[in-house]
Amino acid sequence: METEVKDRDFRLFVKTVRQYSKYDFSDYSDKSLKRMVAKVLSDNKTDINTLLCNISNNREYLDNIINKLTVTTTELFRDPLVWKYLRKNVLPGLKTWSTINIWHAGCSAGQEVYSMLILLNEAGMLERARIIATDINSEVLGIARSGKYRYSFNKGYLDNFDLVMGNKGDKSDGVTHVPYSRYLDIDSELDTISIKPFLLEKPVFKRHDLVAGEITFPGKFDLVICRNVVIYFNYSLQSRIFEMFYNHLHPGGFLVIGNHEKIAAPVSDRFIKTGRTYKKAVTF
Amino acid sequence: MYRAIIIGGSAGSFQVVARILSTLDKDFPVPVLLVLHRLKHVRSGFVEALSIKSSIPVKEPVDKDYIRPGFTWLAPSNYHLYVESGNRFALSTEPQVNHSRPSVDLSFFSAAKEYRRNLAGIILSGANKDGAAGLKMVGDMGGTTIVQDPSECQVPVMPLESMKLTKVHYVYNTEQIVSFFKKIRENGQNRQ
Repeated sequence: METEVKDRDFRLFVKTVRQYSKYDFSDYSDKSLKRMVAKVLSDNKTDINTLLCNISNNREYLDNIINKLTVTTTELFRDPLVWKYLRKNVLPGLKTWSTINIWHAGCSAGQEVYSMLILLNEAGMLERARIIATDINSEVLGIARSGKYRYSFNKGYLDNFDLVMGNKGDKSDGVTHVPYSRYLDIDSELDTISIKPFLLEKPVFKRHDLVAGEITFPGKFDLVICRNVVIYFNYSLQSRIFEMFYNHLHPGGFLVIGNHEKIAAPVSDRFIKTGRTYKKAVTF
Repeated sequence: MYRAIIIGGSAGSFQVVARILSTLDKDFPVPVLLVLHRLKHVRSGFVEALSIKSSIPVKEPVDKDYIRPGFTWLAPSNYHLYVESGNRFALSTEPQVNHSRPSVDLSFFSAAKEYRRNLAGIILSGANKDGAAGLKMVGDMGGTTIVQDPSECQVPVMPLESMKLTKVHYVYNTEQIVSFFKKIRENGQNRQ
């Protein structure tokens, strides 16, 4: 049986975090967040009162707790069909653009950021790409910057890679075999999959809390990628965030979300579902 | 009146689920939630396979969908499925629980908290203890607890683990589970 946190204690936790930091978890999906709080309590072998006391007194402790509250699951080319769609149907349409601005919102440890960079390089568009990748969790951003992942738990990355590149006999698209070594250094002894340096230097990773609303970096984007992030938010917070994405997309730009997510109202009807992406309507 | 019926199953549960769904129709008055362990490589086609057997539409919820009757809601592969406040689903990609994602326990916990006595939880055939703690929670919150008769199960571990953890209300074979649904259908109609 898992440990649980009482409703009252949970509300007190959210309130205390809001009071002592700039983070507001009030509009998170409650069941998942409650479970994360319970996990923090049991991992730290502490009770709610001690936790709240530490949060209100110790900035560093608070930051560490924030990191522990977010779900960081991701993969290289997670849901390969999405990436295959981007490679075949979206990137060719952006080929003539002088710059391509991309925002990965909630990028976690960066696997999908590098997935995109690999596709951009294959399409010969890497030079013109400007990439910003943000997350609330400072710990995973550190991993993202290093571009180093465990090999043993992540062999699935390579299967995804093959699927997206058509390395396994999918000759219909006329693509030649793309070797891992073009982008990845795989060392089974050290148990690492490392992203090649020429990709590492490309994205700007930045700590940013989607809940805070306005973005602290300039610009409009051609592509916003935010997959399996807003599922941790309630519907009204989702609405605000999708509106923000809408405002920061160029007309004709693309939003890419998780396979089991949909765009919340009111901006939902200002996007046109295009394959596995949502395209911002040109005029409205 | 039940606000939801939640079914958890693993190895050996597909036929039972298919049999139950074949007896339901789209006017069935209560949302049916299905949390089944699935093999990663058969994820596509599972909805279709169940739909063929089913007289009620089988749907994988999108995050924050309202939990409405008229559908069988199937937890998508590789996500945990929560019943959220406000009668909506919430999905999550938290790590596996009991080696499973979706985890039957997590769905049952959240549904029990939301629906309390207005929930029926059913544990079917399976080789894993996932769901046992969840069914206990359903009972603790005042809901109805049912397990498939272990003697009928292809793999009886899941019902047996549940029975070890809590005193379940009913031990039913497949046809008794079917009549349980039938009764709910009839009562629902009488009420309208």
